[in-house]
Amino acid sequence: MGKRSKTSRKGKKAWRANISSEDIEDFFEKTTRDALSGGNLSAAPSEDLFHVDKSHDLPVKRKIEKHRERVLRVDSILKKNPFVQLVPSSKPKLKKSKKTIVIEDKAPKQVQKSVGDDSVMADLWGDDSKGEHESNPRKIFKNPSIIPAVEIEHPGCSYNPTTESHQDMLAEAVAQEMQKVYKTELGPAPVPLTIEGDTLSEDERYFLDVDNFSEGEDNENVENEVSEAGIKLKENPFVQLKPSSNTNLKKIEDKTPRQAQKSVGDDSVMVDLLGDDIKEDLKYFLEVGNVGEGEDNKDVKIEVSEAGNNVSRKTKRVTRVELNKRCRQKALRKKETKEKAKEKILNEIDSLPNILEEIAKEDEDKQNKHLRRVIAKQEVLKIRPPRLGKYKFEAPPVQVLLTEEMTGSLRKLKACCTLARDRFKSLEKRGILVPSKQIRRF
Amino acid sequence: MPKHYRPTGKKKEGNAARYMTRSQALKHLQVNLNLFRRLCIVKGIFPREPKKKIKGNHHTYYHVKDIAFLMHEPLLEKFREIKTYQKKVKKAKAKKNEELARLLLTRQPTYKLDRLIRERYPTFIDALRDLDDCLTMVHLFAVLPASDRENLEVKRVHNCRRLTHEWQAYISRSHALRKVFVSVKGIYYQAEIEGQKITWLTPHAIQQVFTNDVDFGVLLTFLEFYETLLAFINFKLYHSLNVKYPPILDSRLEALAADLYALSRYIDASSRGMAVEPKVDASFSSQSNDREESELRLAQLQHQLPSSEPGALMHLVADNNKEVEEDEETRVCKSLFKDLKFFLSREVPRESLQLVITAFGGMVSWEGEGAPFKEDDESITHHIIDKPSAGHLYLSRVYVQPQWIYDCVNARIILPTEKYLVGRIPPPHLSPFVDNEAEGYVPDYAETIKRLQAAARNEVLPLPGVGKEDLEDPQNLLYAGVMSRAEEAEAAKNKKKMAAQEKQYHEELKMEINGSKDVVAPVLAEGEGEESVPDAMQIAQEDADMPKVLMSRKKRKLYDAMKISQSRKRSGVEIIEQRKKRLNDTQPSS
Repeated sequence: MGKRSKTSRKGKKAWRANISSEDIEDFFEKTTRDALSGGNLSAAPSEDLFHVDKSHDLPVKRKIEKHRERVLRVDSILKKNPFVQLVPSSKPKLKKSKKTIVIEDKAPKQVQKSVGDDSVMADLWGDDSKGEHESNPRKIFKNPSIIPAVEIEHPGCSYNPTTESHQDMLAEAVAQEMQKVYKTELGPAPVPLTIEGDTLSEDERYFLDVDNFSEGEDNENVENEVSEAGIKLKENPFVQLKPSSNTNLKKIEDKTPRQAQKSVGDDSVMVDLLGDDIKEDLKYFLEVGNVGEGEDNKDVKIEVSEAGNNVSRKTKRVTRVELNKRCRQKALRKKETKEKAKEKILNEIDSLPNILEEIAKEDEDKQNKHLRRVIAKQEVLKIRPPRLGKYKFEAPPVQVLLTEEMTGSLRKLKACCTLARDRFKSLEKRGILVPSKQIRRF
Repeated sequence: MPKHYRPTGKKKEGNAARYMTRSQALKHLQVNLNLFRRLCIVKGIFPREPKKKIKGNHHTYYHVKDIAFLMHEPLLEKFREIKTYQKKVKKAKAKKNEELARLLLTRQPTYKLDRLIRERYPTFIDALRDLDDCLTMVHLFAVLPASDRENLEVKRVHNCRRLTHEWQAYISRSHALRKVFVSVKGIYYQAEIEGQKITWLTPHAIQQVFTNDVDFGVLLTFLEFYETLLAFINFKLYHSLNVKYPPILDSRLEALAADLYALSRYIDASSRGMAVEPKVDASFSSQSNDREESELRLAQLQHQLPSSEPGALMHLVADNNKEVEEDEETRVCKSLFKDLKFFLSREVPRESLQLVITAFGGMVSWEGEGAPFKEDDESITHHIIDKPSAGHLYLSRVYVQPQWIYDCVNARIILPTEKYLVGRIPPPHLSPFVDNEAEGYVPDYAETIKRLQAAARNEVLPLPGVGKEDLEDPQNLLYAGVMSRAEEAEAAKNKKKMAAQEKQYHEELKMEINGSKDVVAPVLAEGEGEESVPDAMQIAQEDADMPKVLMSRKKRKLYDAMKISQSRKRSGVEIIEQRKKRLNDTQPSS
């Protein structure tokens, strides 16, 4: 091919020599091949190529069918054998399912559909005798609470109540309202979203951070020992530790030495725990405060160090005389305690009626307590639903007329509430619905 | 290691195994929250409060078995099917294939709740026992306005109205109503059907609106179930009256919004028709292709009824219907307003009064077309009015306020009308649901009503304040239940006398034995009079204590609890009385 590029490209003839005639050659080749093999296939009509097989032997089909019909042995074992009787316990419960189907058939049309067309309804409880056994596989339907579905209101809620019962009910309503008010008044104030005051500049903040960091470790130790003052220290450590500061410091001074002394008296180990830090602190405080007191404290510190050294000491040897003495004393003590116990028992026997009385009293108290608890539980169940979800049930306000709204006329009765709310609350109260948050779309 | 740690592969036990949270349940059932809520409501499964809340106090817990029960509900599968079908419709709409969407919508799969009703209430009594909430809800939605936002269709509101009317018609027809109490919230009714006390609350018709703090979606799901339930109950009740259930009403009356009246006429007509039919032709009613004809006949019968006297007809029919056995109370209720005719003004609550008056055997009419009789009817005995003054007064009738009806019904006597006349402030409307004896405090007006009742029964009550000591004594209270007060007083006197005599006899015997005859007998007898009283009291107390010793611990404690609550109640009554006394003291001075 390299040679072809060397041909001349000047003039028309030269151009023509460069055009390839491959496709023409291919065509000729093909036609000659077709002619040799006996005609073009695509040009031939389909009748010549195919024919419909109308003969009635079905060897091919049978072959396929046979293949299909072959059952594996595993499957054939599992197939039901007509000669083998079923074990009665393993019989499927056909009867039951049939019955339920029958019921469904009995009531063919749904009620909502039957509004328009007067379809024939069926008597659901036609055969009451069977009812209890047949359906109700699980005793599902039991009321979750003892609160009745329709609670009858207090007579004070009548549209034209007697004065006494009305006053009673009003008092209750007022109490409900006031409870809400008090709750908001006495409860903790909500955390404010913003706080008044100037913002800290960058430099100040930097200083604050540094101070906190440097004083932090020392102060922690102080806090452990000086509990009262500690809280204040933590809040504002820098200011309070300045020598020129106020009375708070004095408090700390009073506190620290006392505690140190105490720790010396109790246990020598404590001293070690008191570490160097606290000692330094103490020294610092004392320098700041009264000189006289400071001297005392220095003595204390010395004592502390001495006590720390005396931990290890040799045990003294015990002579035989001493041992005997101890033995005797021990026996004597034992005897004494025995006698004492005897006396005690005798005393108790003498005071038996008193003890019995006490026991009876205790029992009575216990019983009363139990009784009170039982009653309280019952009453709570009557008015309060179980806690079912995130939110507690909130009782709706009492629907009672105000004194000036009492007209005695049914016509002038103020429309104060919808029954829908009442129903909803009732559902929540009976533990059927989970109480939800009050807010809904607007 | 924390206490609740459990190695993997170990079974859970206790509360952790028995309860699951709501979100766990959702995952378990593979449904969304909305569907889960609906299923729970329809199936009657409620959240529980386990003793130990494993996942924390802010979760809602369900019992594992409850959830398993939901899992096997065929309705769940149905709901899923509906959901996928909705997707198809949505897809068709999105592809702008309106025709397909419409076609799909016509063939929407629906579901039925009747199987669930059967499951939840295996017997009819069970269903009746749980009807309170159902009735209240249906009555509420019957007066609510239809709303697009809350998905409350007009059709449903109408269905609710129809159901409530059917129920009311049955109540008034069977005279099952027992108590009515008008409160600020609404009107409480109590009826007794098959020994079950059913209480329901109907709203005042004024101003029932949608509020923001109520989830109406939940209420509508409840309503769906309740509608089905009430329809089946109405069916059963109507069939007990031999009336075909989906009633065919006079369209004219229905258009005039006098459904209740139309229904009562329907019941009258059809029950009479049924009574007559078997005599004419036994095979007539049984055949199904004759049904059309019988329906036609029914409609004709309704038109044949003389529109002016439905009540009279009702009595006729009631006399014929003897197979309906009646207890004492029903008979009393039925004959309370027996020969009275009422006319309602425009401003009084018509449906409520219509129900009450017909339930107690009265005849009633109202202003407007389709009413049974007109205002100028001479035979009207009472005109119910709630205005400060009536315009035109007929002398033949009494103009009273609606409260009179309610009070009469609760007291079971016809109260004197003076206090209830037009323009006066009526006496307080007392709640019939309060047991005054148990409460211990009896309002003044209740006292007067009691005396009136006694007068109606031709009995004499002791003056108030005398029987106080008797009330204290539990033994005497027991007696009081058995016999009337007068008898009891006499018995007590006899008893005292007997005791005195016995004691005297014993003394005399002793004296005879001692042989001393110079003791003055009458003086002793005088002394004994006083002595015998505490003696009897002591005996009574001992009698009361005896069973207490014999009681089991549990019962004893319950008894003690009762005692405590009684004492609490008593102190409450004392407070009320003191308050009242103070009120009375202040009023004359001011």
